[in-house]
Amino acid sequence: MRRIRRIAASLAAVTLIGSAVPAIASAASVITISGATASFPLVQALAHKYSKLLHNRVTFHISQGGAQIGVNDVAAGRVTIGDVSRDPLPTDPVGLDFYPIAKYAICIVTNKANPISSLSEAQVQAIFTGKDREWSQIPGAGVSGPIDLISRTSTAGVLTNFKSLFLANKSVSKLGAEKPSEGLLEQAVEGDHNAIGFLSNYRADQGTVNPVGFDGVGCTLANATSGQYVPVAKFYEVTKGRATGAAAKFISWITSSKAAKKIVSTEWIPV
Amino acid sequence: MSKSALIGSGGEREGGPPPSRSTLLARLRKPWPDHRAERTLGAVSLLVCLCVLFMIAFVAARAWPTFEHNGLVWLGPGGSLGTQFENMLNAPSHPPASAYHVRAWTIIYGTLLVTGLAVLLALPLAVLCAIFIVELAPPALRRTMIRVVRLLASVPSVIWGLLGILVLVPFVLNHFITNAERTSLQSTVELTGAGLAVAVVLLTLMIAPIMIALICDALGAVPAAWREGAAALGVNRLRAIRAVTLRAVRPAIVAATVLATARALGEAIMISMVSGSIFFAPRPGDGVVFFFEPLRTLASTIVDNREGLGGAPALNSTLYACALLLLFSVFVLSVAGYLVKLPLRKYQVRG
Repeated sequence: MRRIRRIAASLAAVTLIGSAVPAIASAASVITISGATASFPLVQALAHKYSKLLHNRVTFHISQGGAQIGVNDVAAGRVTIGDVSRDPLPTDPVGLDFYPIAKYAICIVTNKANPISSLSEAQVQAIFTGKDREWSQIPGAGVSGPIDLISRTSTAGVLTNFKSLFLANKSVSKLGAEKPSEGLLEQAVEGDHNAIGFLSNYRADQGTVNPVGFDGVGCTLANATSGQYVPVAKFYEVTKGRATGAAAKFISWITSSKAAKKIVSTEWIPV
Repeated sequence: MSKSALIGSGGEREGGPPPSRSTLLARLRKPWPDHRAERTLGAVSLLVCLCVLFMIAFVAARAWPTFEHNGLVWLGPGGSLGTQFENMLNAPSHPPASAYHVRAWTIIYGTLLVTGLAVLLALPLAVLCAIFIVELAPPALRRTMIRVVRLLASVPSVIWGLLGILVLVPFVLNHFITNAERTSLQSTVELTGAGLAVAVVLLTLMIAPIMIALICDALGAVPAAWREGAAALGVNRLRAIRAVTLRAVRPAIVAATVLATARALGEAIMISMVSGSIFFAPRPGDGVVFFFEPLRTLASTIVDNREGLGGAPALNSTLYACALLLLFSVFVLSVAGYLVKLPLRKYQVRG
């Protein structure tokens, strides 16, 4: 009996706290965000700065999962903003507004044992469509033996961009392993001398893999910012219908303020 | 009776509220009569059953479109599953019937292969380990080992997966796969170290502790008189174990195998990390390389394509169909386990 009463009391306490916290929080506005893993580091840094500037009158709940999850969540009204790392597709739900917040370069990456400096468009297409299967067919390769393609699962935003920017919308060969996240792709390329894959420039710059140039231009932030490195895609904040309220203010702060531009230009390219 | 007496005495110690107040709270604070406790507990367990039924109905409803368009050949072989998944993803939001085309044999075969091999490896390992721990090990070692096994049984699968991609996959790639083997298969599939062998080894390590722990409990419950009886008949220790103890725990071994198989069937994260993430059915005809070929299972397909959930309708439905198949297999498994145990009942140590 005593135990039952104790449990009841603690349940009541939990309920009270549970209902009180959102009540306190709702004094400030909450922006919920979900979506692309590639843009997560950027959005997190931006949200942190924005909260600080407004003395925590706006708080953020950010979760990752993938571009498609961002699109689905925001279309279903589960979050205020969806993070998307690819351009709008005809298969996306209708009524979504895409606001570009930054650009990022897509780098082809190889293992550090295979420090190729650059590949031409024809070479990239031959490798990723499965036509060339041997590193000996690629001049400048530091390894021999078969080429191990590492791709992303078909839902990945970075894969969609990779196909349109590098492969003229041809499909990546089905021989390639399909990794569900950027981190797992990075890990696979790091652990296999013969591997080749593609990552957003932030991931490729972490020092674990070798970023390969495209058409003679190195995949670096400086080259992408100056416009010499061409394969550049956009990160979007997506809202259901026109952005309103706190979300609209946050998005316009990202695109217009100096502080936001400073954060973007650390690792990415301002729009 | 004993329960109600216990609750009653507790209530008296607390000094119940005066009987005049009959608010809800006061009624709840009074000692519970048997019939009310029964009804409450009954309602709770009924709620659990309802939740399970609702979940099955929900998954089945979501999976229905893909079975409607494919029929039961959904389970059969045919075509490249990778291309089929891509077509489903790229279909418009009201996909035509052709967009639902799926033949999932590749991943069903992958699931059967990984689970079957892991259970085949884990079963003798677990039985022998359990016999050693309970029957042969000195008491101090026995206590330590039981604790270690319990700990191993509760290691989260993502830890095994990390161990796999950071240690085992590069090791297999560098020491077991030759460049000649990779070249010979280069137009069929890539050998990157991740594949059948690593998945089976890790899955075996994951499920064996569960089986060992369950079989140990059963061995511990075999009455000492049975062993002493065997010893009195002049049978040596090993023979007594084989003829008496093992025979007595056969239902427990079946139960442990069923539980472990269910765990192995549903394992998603670890398999997704170490099995190569590609729609491919390993071919036994390739010789030793067979063990290094990549694959996908039903559960790892769901994890790898989780972004598709809630998105493209055809892909969504196909992933739910994978889930439904997993639910169905676990159900079949528990029924089969029950049927296998029936004729073994006469030797059972606990009713």
